[in-house]
Amino acid sequence: MVIDSLCDQAGEKDIAVVGLYCDFHAQEEQSTANVLGAMLKQFASRGGTGEHIREAFRKAKKEFGGRGLLPPDMIDIMKKAIAPLPRVFICIDALDECTARHRRELLESIREIVRVSPNTRVFLTGRPHIDHEIVKCFIKAVRIPISPTCTDIKSYLEMRLNGDTDPNAMDGELQTDIIRIILEGISER
Amino acid sequence: MSSGHQQVTSNINSFNNIVNFVTEIDAEGHQILQWLSALEPQQRHQGVRTNRLNGVGNWVLETSEFRTWRDADDGCVDPVLFCYGNPGVGKTYVR
Repeated sequence: MVIDSLCDQAGEKDIAVVGLYCDFHAQEEQSTANVLGAMLKQFASRGGTGEHIREAFRKAKKEFGGRGLLPPDMIDIMKKAIAPLPRVFICIDALDECTARHRRELLESIREIVRVSPNTRVFLTGRPHIDHEIVKCFIKAVRIPISPTCTDIKSYLEMRLNGDTDPNAMDGELQTDIIRIILEGISER
Repeated sequence: MSSGHQQVTSNINSFNNIVNFVTEIDAEGHQILQWLSALEPQQRHQGVRTNRLNGVGNWVLETSEFRTWRDADDGCVDPVLFCYGNPGVGKTYVR
């Protein structure tokens, strides 16, 4: 939602939004190099930074039968990609799902990028237990606790109940009762 | 007449440049993208967008924390915004 809203707002302005999801089931693939590479890919596919990347690719191809980029090289290219743009948003979901080592490397990479590129904004999500790691890396990071509002829960319940594949099992009264009781249960907590 | 001619030539030139640019991407682009990373975050993003219920979580976009983070001038706000919550509260859909 944040990505889409940022993208919509960016419109024709030269603002880049890059994002990725960490996934517990893909921890091995989500090495720092792969994650930074996925961000570079998004810069590459929006054009403008093609030259830096292509140059690095051609150089790497000649060496040792085609070497991959290392995170420091990727960070360098990323800084060059970010520099000409008025603003860049980097969004990463579920930071708690990557390994502790990858997370530390990734946060350090991001810290290096924002240090050199003040036009960058970083949006992160994760479970509360990694909060201290974020704060350690970004002392003044702004933090918002997420929990669904009653309105959110009500519209979600309505959607699910309306999607019931057995419409005969439900009537208006039962639906109202279900929503009321669940919402009461939540507010009691 | 002469300036019209120049305009046409210049249009043809920029058209050729565009064609060259596109061919170049076709020839090498796939290799480069694959070389950069095997991850395809846009696929997951499309899945999340499709499943998201419109309006849910919109309150985050309205918070002053979010707006300041998004709109403030460089250097006036910390660049990092962290949304945290327990499993299942909807962090992914917010993002």
